[in-house]
Formats: sequence, structure tokens, C-alpha cells
Amino acid sequence: MVKAIDIPFGPQHPALEEPINFTFEVEEERVVDVKIRLGYIHRGIEKLAENRTYHQNVYLVERICGICSFAHTTCYTQAVEELLGVDIPERAKYIRTIFCEMERIQNHYLWLGFTAKAMGFETLFMYTWRDREAMLEVLEMISGKRVNYGMNTIGGVRRDITGKMVERMEERLNYLEERANYYKKVCTKERSILKRTVGVGMLEPSDALNLCAVGPTLRASGIPQDVRADEPYAAYGEIPFRVVTYDGCDVASRILVRIDEIIESVKMIRRALDGMPQGPIRVKVPKNVPKGEAVSLVEAPRGEDLHYLRSDGSDRPARLKVRAPTLANLPSLRKMLKGVNIADIPIVIAGIDPCLACMERVILVDTKSKKGQAWSGEELWRYANEWYRES
Amino acid sequence: MVILMAMEDELLESLKKKPVTLRFPYERARPEDRMQAKVTWEIEKCIGCNLCVKVCPSNAIKLIGRGRKAEIRYHVGRCLFCGECVDVCPTKAIQTTKEFELAFTKPEEMILEFRR
Amino acid sequence: MAALNLNRIRRRLKGRVQEVFVQRERRIFIRVAEEDLRETVKTLIRLDGFNHLATITGVDIGPAIELIYHIIYKDAVVSLKVQVPKESPVLPTITDLIPGAVFYEREIQDLLGVKFEGNSSSSLFILPDGWPDGVHPLRKEWTLGRISKKVRRLW
Ligand code: SF4
Ligand code: SF4
Repeated sequence: MVKAIDIPFGPQHPALEEPINFTFEVEEERVVDVKIRLGYIHRGIEKLAENRTYHQNVYLVERICGICSFAHTTCYTQAVEELLGVDIPERAKYIRTIFCEMERIQNHYLWLGFTAKAMGFETLFMYTWRDREAMLEVLEMISGKRVNYGMNTIGGVRRDITGKMVERMEERLNYLEERANYYKKVCTKERSILKRTVGVGMLEPSDALNLCAVGPTLRASGIPQDVRADEPYAAYGEIPFRVVTYDGCDVASRILVRIDEIIESVKMIRRALDGMPQGPIRVKVPKNVPKGEAVSLVEAPRGEDLHYLRSDGSDRPARLKVRAPTLANLPSLRKMLKGVNIADIPIVIAGIDPCLACMERVILVDTKSKKGQAWSGEELWRYANEWYRES
Repeated sequence: MVILMAMEDELLESLKKKPVTLRFPYERARPEDRMQAKVTWEIEKCIGCNLCVKVCPSNAIKLIGRGRKAEIRYHVGRCLFCGECVDVCPTKAIQTTKEFELAFTKPEEMILEFRR
Repeated sequence: MAALNLNRIRRRLKGRVQEVFVQRERRIFIRVAEEDLRETVKTLIRLDGFNHLATITGVDIGPAIELIYHIIYKDAVVSLKVQVPKESPVLPTITDLIPGAVFYEREIQDLLGVKFEGNSSSSLFILPDGWPDGVHPLRKEWTLGRISKKVRRLW
């Protein structure tokens, strides 16, 4: 009879908005059950938002996530604009679309690097991060910032894209597209990548739907669901694009979906730059928002992002609910992790696009043999407090 | 031919190149034109209208006194460098700088005061 | 497209709904009574075009807590509202109908104190270990000041 062992895993994930603690129950090398505990970095943003004005909240919402910051602000400003009944200028819509796509490109490059690192392919990690810099420079050129751009505001965007910038952008886009094609070749040919990813972390399409997966995780199971196509926001209605799907249902498909999305995003930015109308980039909006409620959806790089906003007529929201894509993908992650080898845990977790810097922190605790000594978090916390009080 | 390493040409190519990273304190990247960092006040221009205090998302600005005698207390540690105060000021009393290396040894040093 | 969906919803739900209204294209709000929640969800997920449950929002509206189930369809977003009294906030779980709802329910259980009958895991999910019982931060009576006072005494 094999003894089941619990492995605590986490909670330190520096780059993820939710550092997670996983407890894996393993039998020999296989994971049989997973428990998830959240809240190590619960910052109470929803509560805080109720105490700030709508305008100040743009900057608060931007800081929910460092990587998808533009998706969150787009989602939030859309909800406020819907309640206010303002229509933002066409040019602002195009700039928002371009930024959303540029953010997707830099996020997917970052993710590719993380995934490469999770399989121990440090070379690819270094190269993708070098190339990501090309996108970050363009973002910095337009907005003045590298990650939290401060571009969105209620009623439009704050900075314009000038003709000179477009030239530099085009040059960078060509480079990024060429590199994405190269990485696609690497990821389909390199044997060490194929061995680590093909058939690992399976998520059947029916499970993906039942467990409410979103974004590239869902599209890698062959389901073409994308907010940009289903409910075009900003200027997505006017820019034709292809929803990328792969039906391998494994980590390899998730890599290919994201690389193809980079290539698709580059094309979309080119189309948007061509079709961008002239005109103002923002409109003035009143401070107080009329009573009402709004649901706003945006396709963030990691999947569908939902903001629910309720106003009571004052200058502060009555309730702001944010559902970031990673939370929606957690139930599927739990499903994917059942049955994988311990060695594959990092790559499967990486597959849904959280951060995995906690990798080096795995400790093994044999709960069965050390019964009575294994502490729950609460006991440990009490002990630590006592200890500090005494010393 | 069996591919041994998919990235081999790239790697061989890289042997001939210099590192892409900069040796930071000796070499610096040129900041972008739109880059925003610390903000400063030209306090003579300030009329004490309190708009910058209200717009600041992180409560980094405090107005001491009133009207044309007002003085500004600016908390660099809280500032997000968003530039909203620069945009809102009716007399253009606030400017952004490109000073981004803002490390301090004492917490008090993070609070800058602009006096008349 | 939204109208088509709406008629279908009206017909299927028969007398159960208290209120249906279309806010704009693609946005439908439905209000049902507490005891009809499970039946309504069961009907809604059988309509075609059903994609997934996006999330559950909880709002404190004074005497009651309003839960909003945002259900995403191919051509619409249906927000199903249900109210529970604040004194005894208990609802049946929907995790057997939509397995993906498990974390959304536990989030609400922590932050607003609504119990979901049948959602087996009842330990804290989002709040830190040792968090005082009965402090549900998203309820309006817990202002920022009160929470920080309570928590400061703890740590
Ligand atoms: S730049 Fe932004 S955060 Fe900094 S003082 Fe001005 S308004 Fe406040
Ligand atoms: S907005 Fe300008 S004029 Fe008004 S208080 Fe601030 S610095 Fe002074």
C-alpha cells in the first residue's frame, strides 16, 4: 500500500496578484489531490475602491495586476463610461485597442520565458525576455511608463500616438513578428520542449467548459471563446482577426496558442494603425456618476476579465467587483494537476499563466508518519506570535 | 538530419555579439521623452486652489495654508508619477522631471516641502 | 439577438422570475426568489449558447445581501440576482450544476458571510488564518476604520 504524502507548495509567487498555497497529496510520483488556499496577498482593493473617487480608482484598478494593467483599466473605464452614458472618441478607441494588443504581446513573451524556465530551458527564457524589451520600449515611448501605463482615463486616453512613433513601432513590430515565428519553430522542433509539454496537463474540452476556464487555457482545448470576438469592445468590431485555437488540450497547445496570438496581435496593431482616424482622444466627463449598474467584459492577455460596477449617484462607487482571469482558471488548474508527476507540477502551473518563482520553495512533509507534529497554518501562526511576544 | 538543438544557429551567432545589457552605473539608457518621474513645484506660481490635492490618486500632496500663501508638502514615497497633478494645475506650477533614482536613507527625506 | 434570448428565457422560466429587464444589447438582468435559485440556474444552463459562469458578485444592500450570478452566453450576459436576508444568509450551492463555481462561492462566504449549503470546504479561503469570526469585510457596517481597529488588536 502506497502512503499518501502531502506537499505544501507556495505561497510566495512574487509576480502573481494572488500568491497561492497548494497542498498536493501525492502517491509515489503522482499527484492524486490538490487543495488551494488563497489570500496571501489579498489587498482589499474592492473595499478600498468604495472609499475613493471614480477618477482615483483608475489608478487603483491599474495596480490590480502589473502585467494586465491596461486590460483592468479598460474594463473599469468602460463600466464607468456606460453608466455616464458617454461615448469616447473613435481615435481613443483605436489607441485602446492598440495598447491592449501591445500588452498581450509583452505578456505572452513574458509567459513564454517563464514557461521555458519552468522546464529548465534557461536559454529560451533569456532570449524571450530580451525580445520582450522591444515591446516595453514602445510602450514606454508612447505612455512614458513600462508597466503601469497610466494611459486610460474615464472618457478616453491620456496620450496620443504621433506619426514619428508609428515609424518606430512598425520597425519593432516587424522584429517581434519575425522572432515569434522563430520561437514557434523552436517550440515545435526542439525535442526537450516537446518531451516536457506534449500530453502533459490535459484538460478535456468538456471539463474546460464545466470548470469555467477562460482565455488561452480554454482556447488550447479547442473552444473558440474570446470576448474580443463575442462582444467587440473598443475598436475590435472594426479590425478583423482570427481567434486562435488548438485542440491538443495540453501544455504544448497552450504554448502554440500564445505564440500564434502574438503573431495575430502584431497584424491587428498594423491594421489598427492603418485605420486610425484623426480627432480628439478624450472627452470631459462629470464627477458624479448616475445611479445604476454595469457589467463590463474585456479579454485580458490571460483571459476574460469582468468588472461589475454599481453606483449610488455619488462620486464614489457603491460596489466594484473585479474577477481577474486567473481565479477563473484555478478550478481547471486543479483538474489538470490531478494525475501529473511531481516533476511536471511547475510546467502545468505555468500553463495557465501565473508566476512560478516559488518553484525553489518546495518542502516535503510526511503527514502520516509525523502525525501530531504537522501544524495547521493557524497553529503555526499562534506559535509564532507567542514566540515573538516572549522574546 | 536530426535536429540536436533547435536554437543552435542563434546561439552560435550570439557568441560574436556583445551582451545586450548595459553596465548600469557607468552606462545609462536614454530616458524616453514622455517619461515622468518626480514632480516639482514652482511655488511662486501656485494659487492654492487645492485641485492637485483632490486629483492625486495616492494622497501624496498636502497643502499647508491657504490661497497665495499656501505651501506644498509632497510625499515622494507615495507618488505614482501619474502626472495627473501636472495636467490639472491651472497655473502650470507643477512640472515633471526625469529624476527616477529616488532612494533615500531616512523616511523623512521622502517628504519634500516647497516653501515660498 | 438579445431579444431572442430574452423571450426564450421568459418562456422557459414561466412564473418563476420576479423581474426581467434588458439594460442594453447583450445585458439581461433577472431577479428570482431565494428558493427558486437552483431551478432557475438549472434552466439557464440548458439554454443554448451557454458558455460559463463568469463570477458571483455579492453586494450589501442594507437589510439584505444581493448575490448576482453573471452567466455568459455566446450572445448575451445574463445577471441573475437573488437576495438573502442578512440575519440568516444561507443559500443552496450550485457547484453540482456548475463545478467552476466552487471558488466564487467560497470567496463570498469569506467576504460577505453568506453560507452555501453543500459546498463542502468551509475553511477560510481568502482571509488570513486567525481572522476573527463574524468580520466580513465587504459588508457595509465594517468600515475601513472598524476593520483596522479589530485587526490591529489581533496582531
Ligand atoms: S504625479 Fe500623480 S501621484 Fe504623484 S503627486 Fe502628482 S497626482 Fe499625485
Ligand atoms: S493645482 Fe497648482 S495652483 Fe492649485 S494648489 Fe496645486 S500647485 Fe497650486
